[in-house]
Amino acid sequence: MTTDLKTAAIETSALSKRYGHTWALRDCSLSVPAGKVVALVGPNGAGKTTLLHLAVGLLEPTSGEVRTLGSPPRERADVLGRVGFVGQDVPLYPGFRVREMLEMGRRLNPRWDAEVALDRIRRHDIDLRQRAGTLSGGQRSQVALALAVAKRPELLVLDEPLASLDPLARREFLASLMEAAAESEVTVLLSSHLVTDMERVCDYLIVLSASRVQVLGDVDQLLATHRTLIGPRTDGDEVAGVTVISAEHTERQSTLLVRMDRPVLDPRWTARDVSLEDLVLAYLAHPTSSTLPGPTAGPRRRMEVGA
Amino acid sequence: MIWLAWRQHRQQALAGAIALGLVASFLLATHVGMSNFFHSLGLSSCAGSSSPTCGQLADQFDRRYQGLQFVIPLFLLVPLLIGLFWGAPLVARELELGTERLVWTQGITRRRWFATKVLLPTVTAVAGVAAFAALVSWWSGFFIQIHEDRFTPGIFDIRGVVPIAYALFALALGVLMGTLMRRTLPAMAATLGGFIAVRTLVTLYVRAHYLPARTVSDPILALGGGKGIGLGPQGIGNAWILHQVIQSRAGTVGNPNDLFGFFAAHCPGVIPPPPTPPSPGRLTACVQQLGIHTVTTYQPDSRFWAFQGIESAIYLALATLLVLVAAWVVRRKLA
Repeated sequence: MTTDLKTAAIETSALSKRYGHTWALRDCSLSVPAGKVVALVGPNGAGKTTLLHLAVGLLEPTSGEVRTLGSPPRERADVLGRVGFVGQDVPLYPGFRVREMLEMGRRLNPRWDAEVALDRIRRHDIDLRQRAGTLSGGQRSQVALALAVAKRPELLVLDEPLASLDPLARREFLASLMEAAAESEVTVLLSSHLVTDMERVCDYLIVLSASRVQVLGDVDQLLATHRTLIGPRTDGDEVAGVTVISAEHTERQSTLLVRMDRPVLDPRWTARDVSLEDLVLAYLAHPTSSTLPGPTAGPRRRMEVGA
Repeated sequence: MIWLAWRQHRQQALAGAIALGLVASFLLATHVGMSNFFHSLGLSSCAGSSSPTCGQLADQFDRRYQGLQFVIPLFLLVPLLIGLFWGAPLVARELELGTERLVWTQGITRRRWFATKVLLPTVTAVAGVAAFAALVSWWSGFFIQIHEDRFTPGIFDIRGVVPIAYALFALALGVLMGTLMRRTLPAMAATLGGFIAVRTLVTLYVRAHYLPARTVSDPILALGGGKGIGLGPQGIGNAWILHQVIQSRAGTVGNPNDLFGFFAAHCPGVIPPPPTPPSPGRLTACVQQLGIHTVTTYQPDSRFWAFQGIESAIYLALATLLVLVAAWVVRRKLA
């Protein structure tokens, strides 16, 4: 019962969530492709957690729609049984022993694979008799991941899974996550405000800024189409064939982060590869620029000039 | 899901079982002493008798066990404890720990999660409080026999089936408060206030009207030998007396505690200045002339179980309503 790779794992249209007078997410339309490892990146308060909670049925949309694995997820045991979710701060029952946490997973999920869970716990040297409240941050995350993965989910959603981990635990967690992703055809959606960690593991990127999708696309393709251009100081629309995302200027020279619509032939400009982090930061610093696939993502006419 | 609910709340269940065990041992132990004393006094042959000897024996029994009667009001608190310690944390604790995000993303619906979480303590509370109420009903039997009074507020509330209904109401109130306030401690405070408020209001202002009260009118008799005056026979047995007024043929007597003042005003010379006692003959004549009598409004003892049933039904209906609201909030409003 795997999802067809061509369909979307999550699809939202004009999805909005309001608390009182504050919009946590507004008019968010996006599609998370199935079978990919997708990074959801954005500054604090962009609506990442809200979006993820809407996707796993923890929240009810104020307006708009979200479809997870083809259906609105809320109060649907059949959908929730096929979605693994690891929430921010990885909540576990502090008084439960690790063994009991797994027992909970077994009893509440129809597709539970006890072997997968036990294997993961053993591999990380976690004592099954230890109480969840006494686990280290890294161990907690591993237990939560084991709980999510043993559901044999078609979609794995992780909300800021790295935030509370030290660099070593972070690396281990990502390795463990990638292993799980490689073993099955699972779609992974993980949110983070740390782009560097995402670069190694993700093949699809969604940048969410103030509940608006700013960038959406394959990581390889994004990296292939963006460059840093260094050349003589410029103030206007002088570089042909590129869309400037951000620009920095000194007396003599300008450094532009651009999306190239065709190769730059002008010899005055030196092109360099960009890192995913530079790319994301450039977009986040300039909320009006965006790169989206499809008809709305044509070359932008207007030039963005940054500070 | 039953497994999870049990695993989460087994400590509370254990604490409840221990408390019930302690109370039961206390009741059993004190009952033995009371029973021995009751029979050695010969009170067992006094049932329904109003002879002076029986009255004296009853007083003797009462004096000896005055301290024990003091614990009776404490039994009123038992249903409340269930609301505070089982009800309030049920959802609130989950929201405090953030574990609702864990459990609501497993392969079950919130509806089933909530139903199981509520059902488990409900069944446990019914069983526990039923045992407790049966014990208390049995234990308090001697006091009931002596005072011929099982209907008065305070005694009515700890016997029969109403404690079960109170417990379920307290539980439901705790669950709803926890769901609305999302934190255990404020939810406990709200449960405490809400439970006391509802119980007080119903007991003081609603219960008396479950069935139309009866009234009975009795003459007041002048007693000979300087003993003053006494009430005539009322013949309403162990009824719950709602109120009683002293009236003359013309209307209500102003201040029932100053009956002699009333006589003095209406029958000149009937009350001589102290220390001379009033003459019984003149007093009787005055009482008859003025038509002094008492009017008693009461609920007859035979309605005891009808009232238990009505009161239980009210609290069960409230409990059901509160749980349904809590279920709606859990499914539709909580993050």
